[in-house]
Amino acid sequence: MLLLAAGWYSSAYAKEKREPTIVKDADFGEVLYYFYQEDYFPAIVRLLAAREQSRLENHDSESELLLGGLYLSYGHHLRAAEIFERLLADNVDPEIRDRTWFFLAKIWQQRGYMAESQNALDNIQGELPKGMESERHMMQAQLLIERGDYDQAIALLQDWPGKSEWASYAQFNLGVAMVRSGRVEAAAQILDNLGGSDPFNEELTSLRDKANLALGYAYLQDQQPVAAKSALQRVRLEGPFSSKALLGVGWADAEEAQYQRALVPWMELRGRDLLDPAVQEAMLAVPYAMAKLNSISQAADHYLNAIEAFYEESNRIDEAIVKIESGTLFDGFLAEDRDSSAGWLWRLNNLPEGPESRYLFHLMAANEFQEGLKNYRDLAYLDRNLDEWQESIAVYRAMLETRKLAYEERLPMVEQSLAEADLDGMANRKLEHDAQLNRIEQSNDALALATTEQFALWGEITALERNPALNANIPEAAEVRDKIAMLKGVLQWELDKEFKVRLSKARKDLQRTGEALVDTQRSRRHVDEAMRVEPMIFEGLTAKVDGLSPRIDSMKQRVEVSMAEQREFLQGIAVDELQAQRERLDTYTVQARFALATIYDRSSTAANAEAQGGSQ
Amino acid sequence: MFKKLTIGLATFLLVWMASVSAVVAQDAATSGSQMLAAEDAASREEFRSLDENVQDLKKEVLDLNRDLFLLEEELLFPANSQVAFFISLDVGEYFDLDSVNIKIDGKEVSNYLYTRREVKALLRGGVHRVHMANLKVGDHELVAVFTGEGPHIRDYRRGATLNFSKGIGAKYVELEITDRVEKQQPEFVIKEWE
Repeated sequence: MLLLAAGWYSSAYAKEKREPTIVKDADFGEVLYYFYQEDYFPAIVRLLAAREQSRLENHDSESELLLGGLYLSYGHHLRAAEIFERLLADNVDPEIRDRTWFFLAKIWQQRGYMAESQNALDNIQGELPKGMESERHMMQAQLLIERGDYDQAIALLQDWPGKSEWASYAQFNLGVAMVRSGRVEAAAQILDNLGGSDPFNEELTSLRDKANLALGYAYLQDQQPVAAKSALQRVRLEGPFSSKALLGVGWADAEEAQYQRALVPWMELRGRDLLDPAVQEAMLAVPYAMAKLNSISQAADHYLNAIEAFYEESNRIDEAIVKIESGTLFDGFLAEDRDSSAGWLWRLNNLPEGPESRYLFHLMAANEFQEGLKNYRDLAYLDRNLDEWQESIAVYRAMLETRKLAYEERLPMVEQSLAEADLDGMANRKLEHDAQLNRIEQSNDALALATTEQFALWGEITALERNPALNANIPEAAEVRDKIAMLKGVLQWELDKEFKVRLSKARKDLQRTGEALVDTQRSRRHVDEAMRVEPMIFEGLTAKVDGLSPRIDSMKQRVEVSMAEQREFLQGIAVDELQAQRERLDTYTVQARFALATIYDRSSTAANAEAQGGSQ
Repeated sequence: MFKKLTIGLATFLLVWMASVSAVVAQDAATSGSQMLAAEDAASREEFRSLDENVQDLKKEVLDLNRDLFLLEEELLFPANSQVAFFISLDVGEYFDLDSVNIKIDGKEVSNYLYTRREVKALLRGGVHRVHMANLKVGDHELVAVFTGEGPHIRDYRRGATLNFSKGIGAKYVELEITDRVEKQQPEFVIKEWE
């Protein structure tokens, strides 16, 4: 028995303090051993196997709940939900029940099962612990926004209490709901408040940058450059949104015809990564400003540089598309921690090295991509698992055949030995010995238990007794007769003295012989039984191996088909992303060419006019 | 001349917000990611169809693994001769497990080195099947030597012995490490699983 400091639910959706749970079945403890290592696949397999063998009798209801938790942790959410819907309806601790629904709602929302997610949220009856309760309301608001029920979402988000991170997120999502419901001015006000907040961590600082950027660009598009610049300048220079903000600040200046000033942030952007759309746009914005400042020659040079840079970048994107379409990219994504069976909590944190990875960086933030990648990773795990079983089953088949061969080779020898061993004859002989010993005891036949020497001596004495010479009536003969009688008396005395001990020993020996005979008979029965059963065991195991082997093969084919589909889906997302980037570069290239042509055209017109003026 | 595309404030805010956030509240780890709401419905439908297929496959492969696991056990460790040895750790205040060495009838059969992750799983109540053996019916001797870090951060090495009788049918043996509070020492007990 083992005391558990905390129950199984002390993992993802655990309570903080619980009564100790006692592990009564070793197999249940073994499942927990894998569960606590977040190795969900072997944990589930062991639990299913132990249940099949009725080895979890002391943990019947717990094991069902644990199985649900394992399925959920493994990302097998539909099966988990089936179990929970059945179990959580009745005798489960309300707190556990509500937490479980919460996690189901969360996984379903991540995977786009919105109706299921809403249903799970509706099943939560009590209040969750603080952080979870906030997240639950946020999930609810997002579901409302998702299905266009903006008024309810706004009502839920509007009076968010406190000044926590959640309150800031609520503000942002409130802005989203307001914009979508057409309350743009109010949304701008909310973003302005958020953009002017004083964040206390990186997460909130980033959120503030996003709000300022959204607001700044909204003002910019609404021809309000001063307000736009004010919001954009609140974005951190070193943060992930700084390029976009610098670009916007430049446009705000340009909007007011301050082209010299606009060049400052735009020139700064030219030194940054060309992959960033803000940098690409700056490559066109710089010559645009220069042209406005009448630096036509410089503007033309910058347009030419931009066209060249866009051309090279487009080629790189094309190469990356070819690489992605070759199908090898996604295996690199799984290299990290590939043998773990961690489920839906897994996320790809680092892109594999390679020229194409830089184009896919922000795909990592997309749920659809991450969830698709999780599925791809899970399928790759299943594929490897089936590979291993294919090898093992081949070994087991060979093992069975070898065992069977060895059995068949040994069988004739064993049968011969058994035929030679006359156990019934031995039993009869034992009974004869018993009877003989009884006769010896009844007749006090001490000579029957004499040693070989004593028996020989007795024979010699009796032979001497029968010697006719001893019958002579002479004193010497009488003397010899007396000596023989004395010798015989001594021998008889010795035999009588040792008779009881010898009898007892003989009885014990005979008893042991009887016991050994019984053991031998029992072993014989076992051997007979084994000879009867063994072929059936071989047959049974062979049938199982023969039945399971094609199941592995067929399952492997299906997993591989599914992997290909999943890979195609992910490739589609990645290629779409790259093509969008390429199309943007194409558009910019056309704009640069057009601008350049216009410059050349103007220069040529001006030169012609000058020439004509000179000639006149 | 290069020209900015102009769209309305509302549309811009809408597109922008959808592209940068919307799920910022989802999770600290996922904040900043896009919300499925903003993604293409057809793509989501495709994702869901693939996901449902993956769910079906997971179920079937798990069921197949269960059957294979049982076959493997039946084949390698038939019930008549099977003996399973389990390690459990209760509290673990006075002993930080490093490895376990097991000898059966004088022959070394297992020398298992634990990772931190495995020790943590043991501490939380997991039970590790450290060894499986096929033993004949009759009497046997098990000697287990535990090494690790004992009280006062000292290397600690202790053995425990169990003489047990193997009958017909599977047998489970538990190697349990507990804390003996009154002596502030770990205790190593081997017993047949009740």
